[in-house]
Amino acid sequence: MFLTRSEYDRGVNTFSPEGRLFQVEYAIEAIKLGSTAIGIQSSEGTVLAVEKRVTSPLIEPSSIEKIMEVDTHIGCAMSGLIADSRTLIDRARVEAQNHWFTYNERMSIESVTQAVSNLALAFGDDDAEPGAMSRPFGVALLFAGIDEKGPQLYHMDPSGTFIQYDAKAIGSGSEGAQQALQEVFHKSITLKEACKSALTILKQVMEEKLNSTNVELATVTPERNFHMFSKEELENVIKDI
Amino acid sequence: MDSQMNELYGNNGPKQVHFSPYAFNGGTVLAVAGEDFAVVASDTRLSEGFSIHSRDTPKTYKLSDKTVLGSCGFHGDVLTLTKVIGARLKMFEHSHNKKMSTSSIAAMLSTMLYYKRFFPYYVYNIIGGIDDEGKGCVYSFDPVGSYEREAYRAGGSASSMLQPLLDNQIGFKNQEGATVVPLSKEKAVALVKDVFISAAERDIYTGDAIIVQVVTKDGVKTEQFPLRKD
Amino acid sequence: MASTVAVELPHGGFSFDNCKRNALLEDKGFKAPKAYKTGTTIAGIIFKDGVVLGADTRATEDTVVADKNCEKIHYISSNIYCCGAGTAADTEMTTQMIASKLELHRLETSRKPRVCTANRLLKQMLYRYHGYISAALVLGGVDSTGPHLYSVWPHGSTDKLPYVTMGSGSLAAMAVFEDRFKPEMEREEAMKLVQDAIRAGIFNDLGSGSNVDLCIITKDKTDYLRTYQEANLKGVRQGTYRYKRGTSAVLKTEVKKIVLEVIDTQVKPQAMDTD
Repeated sequence: MFLTRSEYDRGVNTFSPEGRLFQVEYAIEAIKLGSTAIGIQSSEGTVLAVEKRVTSPLIEPSSIEKIMEVDTHIGCAMSGLIADSRTLIDRARVEAQNHWFTYNERMSIESVTQAVSNLALAFGDDDAEPGAMSRPFGVALLFAGIDEKGPQLYHMDPSGTFIQYDAKAIGSGSEGAQQALQEVFHKSITLKEACKSALTILKQVMEEKLNSTNVELATVTPERNFHMFSKEELENVIKDI
Repeated sequence: MDSQMNELYGNNGPKQVHFSPYAFNGGTVLAVAGEDFAVVASDTRLSEGFSIHSRDTPKTYKLSDKTVLGSCGFHGDVLTLTKVIGARLKMFEHSHNKKMSTSSIAAMLSTMLYYKRFFPYYVYNIIGGIDDEGKGCVYSFDPVGSYEREAYRAGGSASSMLQPLLDNQIGFKNQEGATVVPLSKEKAVALVKDVFISAAERDIYTGDAIIVQVVTKDGVKTEQFPLRKD
Repeated sequence: MASTVAVELPHGGFSFDNCKRNALLEDKGFKAPKAYKTGTTIAGIIFKDGVVLGADTRATEDTVVADKNCEKIHYISSNIYCCGAGTAADTEMTTQMIASKLELHRLETSRKPRVCTANRLLKQMLYRYHGYISAALVLGGVDSTGPHLYSVWPHGSTDKLPYVTMGSGSLAAMAVFEDRFKPEMEREEAMKLVQDAIRAGIFNDLGSGSNVDLCIITKDKTDYLRTYQEANLKGVRQGTYRYKRGTSAVLKTEVKKIVLEVIDTQVKPQAMDTD
């Protein structure tokens, strides 16, 4: 890919003669530098697990947030340029609230993802909607939640493409993790199994040794809605793997 | 004379300016909810002052297979409002890949009405339909978006005549020792026709015909029934 | 305000002109009097042998029908009748007043009253009140000089015409007259024409409704045909709305004894005084 570098690299709105948008492709490459994030859908609910790169003992681990709540029934995990995710998450939250305000119902996961993808695609235009940037976003997102269709997991990349998955890994360890997910996942997986598998796979692809401070785990279930695991809850899961 | 004097002596006090963009075109709407059905009805007369504009203009609007809207007041606003609702329903369907539920339509209508809080649609709205649990439901609105779910409601020119009768016959109000029986679909339709017959006797803006729309899980069925024409 | 022929539509906005005065009056215990004004269709024509008068029977209070079968053709004398539109009380009192004056006049002169006399009395009275008596009338009758028909306006002006209409339904009724009126009609044809004119008002004017009343006055006979046509049948309800005994709640019961003062009176037979 880098061999074809040319003047088409620069403009975000310019296709190369082969029909490619390099800046978008580079942005997708940027995700592969990010920490690994995993999402698994089960019939009981959805799980999100992410690795936190605590690169210095002086870092306060809780200040690294890679799983966020979008609405009571939707969570979002991310990988890549985390700073870029702020505007995207903000848009997701606004859209979800707006939907609830006008229609008095929870917004579907697909619709939230669609709304965020519209923003992700609005790059490059000088007078585009507020929140849009001059370049593509450098972050990939996993939207997990529960709506009227049941537990749902969506993946969105910097090109604005979004696809529904049973299980999906993003970030630096995604290749290995995705392979592992394919082996582990089955349609009747329980939530507990999904949590365990997520952390097990994360452990395999992480450089650091996995512990309760360098991972985040969250579930979205009909009973508890979006739920972020506490240190104690995390340790409970970790001791089984 | 006064204005000439004022102009001559430069004494221009406060002036009142008239702007009357509204008219009242009469008509009555009514909705009743049952266990697994809802009835929405209206008369078909459109009038202004002492004149009749139309004898065949129903004021019920089918919004989906599960929802019917009754809308009356200023007909110009009714036309615009129903048109915008129609557009919003299509947009929702395209962006969310599903039909809007009755409760969502009600919530949306409320925000649409409140959006024009200081230049309101002069429209009285009542929604009847089937909710997400398959139960009959009625939502009533004021012109600026206040709304609530109810079992039955009358709106428009003869509403003050119909509502007490519905309170008595459906709500069993002011009846000592009455046996409260669930409302059947047949009883509801018969009652709705009867109250409109009564309204046509005394309200000059209600008459000509009545449209009754019955909403069930199987869709919307429409009946028409003549009223007095004077 | 005054014209009941074409009802003026109220335009929007508020007038606070009388607020202060009204508040003051209410403070002193005065209640504003309420009059009700009837939207109406009344009409009359002259035919070969006399006049035909017609009226609808609806009385309204704002947008509510107050009376579904009221009488709007008023008696003036045996050979003169008068249809009234406007404030019900005004039309009733005015026609009664003129009827009594005309009766006194008849007794004094020993002649059948003339229609032009009734017209004069009416217009003089209405003019005196500068239009504040809301009575718009159609006056018709037959006297020694033949059939006569007048319209009388609330301010006191009158017109003498072969066919007239008044009230909020006057335009609808006049449309029928303009289409079909011709001089020297037969009685049956004239009755049908007036009936159709009133029907036009009943069905096209919201202030008019229910039935058609007719009054046919000829040289030697007056036929007052109350409910000549029931133009609108009352709607038939399907359900029954009867209540079981005891449905009305009894909030409080109090039994009080009525204390009576019993007076005992006896009547004894007495001999008749024959002295």
